[in-house]
Parts: sequence; structure tokens; C-alpha cells
Amino acid sequence: MTPDAPPLLEVRNLSIRVANARSNLVDDVSFSLQPGRTLCIVGESGCGKSQTALALMGLLASPPLSVTGGTALFNGRDLLSLPQAEKQRIRGDRMAMIFQEPMSSLNPVLRIGEQIAEAVRRHRGVSNSVARARALEMLEKVRIPAAGKRLDEFPHQLSGGMRQRAMIAMALANDPELLLADEPTTALDVTIQAQILDLMRTLQAELGTAMILITHDLGVVAEMADEVAVMYAGRIVEIGATQDIFDDPQHPYTIGLMSSMPALGRRSERLVTIPGRVPSATDMPDGCRFASRCPFRIGICARTPELSNPGGSHRVACWRAPIEETYLQPQEAQPA
Amino acid sequence: MTRNDIILEARGLKRRFVTHKPLFGKPTEVRAVDGVDLQVRRGETLAIVGESGCGKSTLARLLVRLIEPSGGTVHYEGREIGALGDAAMRGLRRDLQFIFQDPFASLNPRMTVGALIEEPLRAHGIGDAAARRDQAAQMLTRVGLSPRHADRYPHEFSGGQRQRIGIARALACGPKVVIGDEPVSALDVSIQAQVVNLLEDLKQEFELTLIVIAHDLSVIRHMADRVAVMYLGQLVEIARTEDLFRAPRHPYTEALLAAIPLPQYGARKVKVSIEGDPPDPIAPPPGCRFHTRCPYAIAACQTDRPALRDLEPGHSVACLRAEELDLTGTADAERSHNPATERRFRLYREARHEELQSTPT
Repeated sequence: MTPDAPPLLEVRNLSIRVANARSNLVDDVSFSLQPGRTLCIVGESGCGKSQTALALMGLLASPPLSVTGGTALFNGRDLLSLPQAEKQRIRGDRMAMIFQEPMSSLNPVLRIGEQIAEAVRRHRGVSNSVARARALEMLEKVRIPAAGKRLDEFPHQLSGGMRQRAMIAMALANDPELLLADEPTTALDVTIQAQILDLMRTLQAELGTAMILITHDLGVVAEMADEVAVMYAGRIVEIGATQDIFDDPQHPYTIGLMSSMPALGRRSERLVTIPGRVPSATDMPDGCRFASRCPFRIGICARTPELSNPGGSHRVACWRAPIEETYLQPQEAQPA
Repeated sequence: MTRNDIILEARGLKRRFVTHKPLFGKPTEVRAVDGVDLQVRRGETLAIVGESGCGKSTLARLLVRLIEPSGGTVHYEGREIGALGDAAMRGLRRDLQFIFQDPFASLNPRMTVGALIEEPLRAHGIGDAAARRDQAAQMLTRVGLSPRHADRYPHEFSGGQRQRIGIARALACGPKVVIGDEPVSALDVSIQAQVVNLLEDLKQEFELTLIVIAHDLSVIRHMADRVAVMYLGQLVEIARTEDLFRAPRHPYTEALLAAIPLPQYGARKVKVSIEGDPPDPIAPPPGCRFHTRCPYAIAACQTDRPALRDLEPGHSVACLRAEELDLTGTADAERSHNPATERRFRLYREARHEELQSTPT
């Protein structure tokens, strides 16, 4: 990554709030993405990873959710303050999104080809036949067998894996610069997931699309990411290059998450756990939101830690990181 | 192995479902389970794995006669459970319990948690009202909840807590065999580990035989003593967990293992060794059912149906080419973490341990 190149997307201090809640659902989230790179946002249900992506797309369920602060510069223009018409021009053209359950995001009464062609017609103003030819080209690109026949089929006639391929074809039909993918393989079987991940990687290399991939699966992260943002209860708790996150995990949540996964290569002893559960969206604790579940918590954790820099682009929001330096001599850590 | 070690046994078990019944002509059938022989040993954890639609949930339900087989038998403690009358079967239900995948759908929302756990006790006429209430309170404590939760309703609990309630309910009447159909797959990673540990503790404490249906092979790797792999209604491989992961003998097992993304930087990438979707179970391919996707298929695979046979003691496989193939497992898939990361994992474990010592849950 060349640090000088202007980022494709620069999110600064994004906050999202549920109406009447006392704290933000997504709180002060910042990250940037270079053209052609993949950022994985990883976290458990309710951590705000999907809401972050929806806010960027302008698809937040509003009300009750609303963006309460921040900017998201996409090619220099703030997505969060664009007028509706302008947003619609960008959405589906320069940026596109795919979802976990393709059956609920495809129109069940429109033929596959028609749905893809619609996106092309709308943004490119081409004729029906050109749009249809593009739809066919895209279905072939996502390696749907007998693409010409599938063009005229309805979503229910396709298998789950095929539908997700069709969704990808639709999302990429206008050569977007940014693809947002929200748990695109979670509903799929493991062998189909492998095919879709492989397809996404190939297409990304070919088309140079940047990607924000949202997942709960650290395996998918290791497989796909250039950079990783770990989210917990609405905040990024750790962010950095993939190797930093896996080989130098600093936040107790990241460490806990990795330790609690059973290994595949050898039989693990008793699984390590993270106690308790994620705080509810309407009742986020003050200070570090992970503190109540953290085995390393101390007095200062009642204050919110900033993301600070242990090295390179790797940043972590924990008073006690790196833990080996503070845990062995238990004492009040000083803010960085 | 003596007969006495086998607690549950399926012989030639089959189940067909009619998917479409025209006014005239033959109905369309799917053979969800198509001739399964399986022996479950007393006290073991047996995992049944496979992709959606392979028939693993149907097999699980057949094993405890939640649905009736179209053919074949199930023996529990040497007795054929299909031959039992309603009353005898009801008595047997005490021994055979089920934990469902979706803790949101499997608990009656209008019953309190206490009533839910007492229900199986009441159904089997165990104890009087006071004794049942005590038992429910004990079970709640045992699964990591509190007796005061007995008066609350399922919607007041999180997914992980509801799964704990489901487990308490399944174990309340003292079963011998518990079948979990994807018991942790609806849960978040951090909660999943809690429930896996709980199941293992309870298995030990209540001396259970556990049958786990799952598609997540890393959870299986951790929990199971033996693994049975299913494809399109049939078992294709059964082996001790160690052996199956280290040296799979069926190409489908190899493909499943190769498709798992590993949560490590620089680990092997997933391999797409099988293309396309599984064939339609309504019209399974002739010969070996896997031959249409198998990278090792030869002409014979299209016509000869391989039977499940013992390759070595305790390792059975249904593949014509099993002896000659050299398949890859997951033994070398992971690399060890660097010492600094290992140290952090260790510190986390120690801190958690200390926490558990000082605050009993």
C-alpha cells in the first residue's frame, strides 16, 4: 500500500444512534480504504458492522436509526451528506452492496437477466439489448453454468450458491469502485462458500474493485482481508493489516475471540471463553464497552480508550495493550 | 467390542418424503436417508456432518423416532424402538432427548422457563410439584443460569441463554442419549465456546452419549470422538475424529476439510476441489453419488455403487478407490502462532482462570 495515494473511501468519526438511546449504536468509527484493497470488518451480532455498511450505502433503517455524526468521503465527496438523487446515482454504479441472504434481496418476480439489466440501463442509459448482453456477460463472469438459460429464470429456480453469484453479477455490472459485502457466504455450505470466496477474489483482482467485507468468521477474514477492523459493541477496538491482527493481536476481545475458536489441526483442550454477552444496543456501558467481559479490566477502563498506535498502521483501543507489559505488573496503566 | 457397548444402532435405515403428488402418475419422492447403518457406542460423542440437504437432520430424528422410518430399524439397548407401542415409546423418551438448533423457535413463548423445564418431568410423572420445582431450579443452576430465572419467559433471554434453557429441558428427566441438531451453530463465536464447554461438562456429569449434528467441522473436531460424514442420504465415511481429520479416505471428506477457511494469517487458502452444487436428491446420480463432483472419479464410479466397508478397524469408507488414493487432511493446515502471540493467548487463559476462581458463576 502506498500511503501517499488518496484513499478511495475515508470514513471519519461515523456515529449512528437508535432514537431515544442514551449512547451511540455505532460510535466514532473511522477507517480508510485504498482502491482495490479489501477491508474486513469482523465482529459478533449487534456490533454495528452491518449498520456501518448500510449507513455508507444510505440504506440505514431511518427512523429509528440515524447518522448522528461523521463523514464518509468517497472519491472526495461525503456520502453521508449527499442529496438523495446524487446518492442514487452513485449507488449501484460506483458502489454496490451484496447481502447475506440473496433470496430476500433479489426481486422474486423479475427474471435474473432483467434484474441485472435494470441496473445497467438505469446507470448507463443503454438500450435493452445492450443491457441484456451485459447481463449475460456478467453471469458468465461469475461462472454460472448455462448462463444464457439462467438469464430468463426466476430467483427461486436457482440454488443458494447460484443466487449469490447472480447477486455478485448484479453488483459488479457497472464496474463499481467499491463493493460492500455483508456476510455474503454465511448462509452457504462450506464447499459453496469456498467457491464464492474464490470467485470474489478472482473478480476483484480482475476488476480492481475495493471491498468492505463484513463477517463474523475469522477464517473468512484470514482468507480475504488486506486490512481488518475488529468491532465490538459499536466501536472499532483494533484495526490493522491482516498479519498484524492475526500475529500480534492486542485487544483482549481480539485475543479472546481467537482463543475461543476450536483449532482444526489438533484437538484443543477445554475451550477458552469470553464470559457474559454483548451489551444491548440501547444500553451501552460507559467507558470501554468490553470492560465488563474483560479479564484484564482495571479502574481506568471506566474511561473510553482511544485507538492508539502500537506500530505501523496497527491501532488498538485498550488501556492495557500490550497486555504482557501491563498484566504482569498489575498497576494503573497511564493513558498513552 | 461387545454388543453391550452399542447403545443405539441403525440398520438399513431409510426415509422417503413425498415432495410432489400429482393427481395421476407416480409421486415424486426424495430419499432423505437411504440405507444407513450406524452404531453409536455408549458414552461417546458421535458427530454426523454433511452439507444442507444431505439428510443428517432426518437421520437424527429417525434415531430417536421423532419421525417414522420408511425402512430399516433402530435398536436402543438391544430393543427395536420401531416395534414399541405408544406407551412403551413414551417411557423410552425419558432416555432419548433432543436439543434443537434454533433456541428462538424451540421454546414455547407462553410458558415460563420453570414450566418449560418441568414439562418433561411432568410428562413422565417424575416427582411431585415441589420436587419438580426443585429439580428445575437445580437444572437452571447447572446450566449456568439462576433459579430466579424460572419465572421469566424465553423472550427475556439471549440466544446463548435460551440454548442453555433448551439443554436444561433436555437433561431434566435424566436421559441416556442426547441428540443435538446444530446445537451451537446459531450462536456467536464467544457464546458458542461457552455452550460447547457446557455440553462437555454435562456429558461427563450425567454420563451421556452425545450425538451431534453439525456443519462446522472445527466444533466437531473439538467435541467428537468419532465422525460420520453424510452425502445425499448415505454415509460415505466413519472414523475416529483424529483419523478422519488427519487422513481422510473419502474424496468428499477431503473436499470438506479443504474448504474450511482457517483463522490464521499465512495458513493454507481454501481449495475449491469440488465445483458446483450437490445434485438434486430427488434424482441422485447412479453409481457413487459423489462421482459427479469427485476429482478422482473413474469410469467405474458412474456405475458401481460403493458400499461402506472397513478399511482398517474403526475406519469405514464408501469409495471404490479408497485404497489407492492419497488424500490430504488438516494435519499440516495450521502453523503455530509466534511466541509473542502464544504468550498473549496464555495470559488471557490465565486471567480468565483467575477470574473463574474468584467469582464462581
